[in-house]
Amino acid sequence: MVKFFQQRYSYDYSWNTVSYAFLNRYPNPFATHVLTADTLDHRIDEETGELRITRLLRKTNSVPRWARSIIRGNDAYILEEVVVDRQAGRLVSKTRNITHTRLMKVEEKQTLKADPLDQNQTLCKNETSIVSSIGYGLNSRIENFSLSRFAENISKSRKGMLYVLELAQRKGLFRQRLRVEQQLEN
Amino acid sequence: MESISKECTPLKHEYDACFTKWYSEKFLQGAKTNDCTKVFKQYQECLKRVLKEKGLTKMISDARPAIGSVFADRDGDEKK
Repeated sequence: MVKFFQQRYSYDYSWNTVSYAFLNRYPNPFATHVLTADTLDHRIDEETGELRITRLLRKTNSVPRWARSIIRGNDAYILEEVVVDRQAGRLVSKTRNITHTRLMKVEEKQTLKADPLDQNQTLCKNETSIVSSIGYGLNSRIENFSLSRFAENISKSRKGMLYVLELAQRKGLFRQRLRVEQQLEN
Repeated sequence: MESISKECTPLKHEYDACFTKWYSEKFLQGAKTNDCTKVFKQYQECLKRVLKEKGLTKMISDARPAIGSVFADRDGDEKK
């Protein structure tokens, strides 16, 4: 069973701000299921100038009741790879679960692109793929569960991003104001 | 945000602070330097030890090349 979902939306912020917020999105009040986040790799591609980051996330494993007999262990580990192309104004994040893969493999791709028509807008595309081969007549349940979870997760991650964006902008405004004040003093 | 192990959290926070500052003040402004390498190295030493203890090292190195592989044939669209 392979299932693809896709959703598009946009943020009313510049790509610089959105990419910054994305990389700093944890913790936030809408992501309490994310327990820890670690950076495993951080490098700049010498040829392309792209920034590449690999992260390991630990999340609480909130599985539906019918799946609890199949899934053992409490936490789920997720690997994330982010590529930031500053010149193109594009950030691509890809994630994959590395635990509980016998039940399902969930991959997510998020693309954040500067809107070519409006520099204060950032276009966001979410793609999710769910592959499950567990059988036992559970595939349709997994499918339905993952569909509702997909919508729920996107809504939560959007709220989290908006929260962090608001903070980032306030900080930015604060810094700008500080600079103006400093200039006035000089 | 906490690290996977409490013992690495202080180093992680130090690295995160460095990275965030570097990202907004240098990378986004076009700089190609990679700051934070010293603190990142210290943080990684701690992290590698913990990942090994938790038996995650192999799981991670096996999974890394495969991340996003289901989207590989769709990537062409993004570059346009």
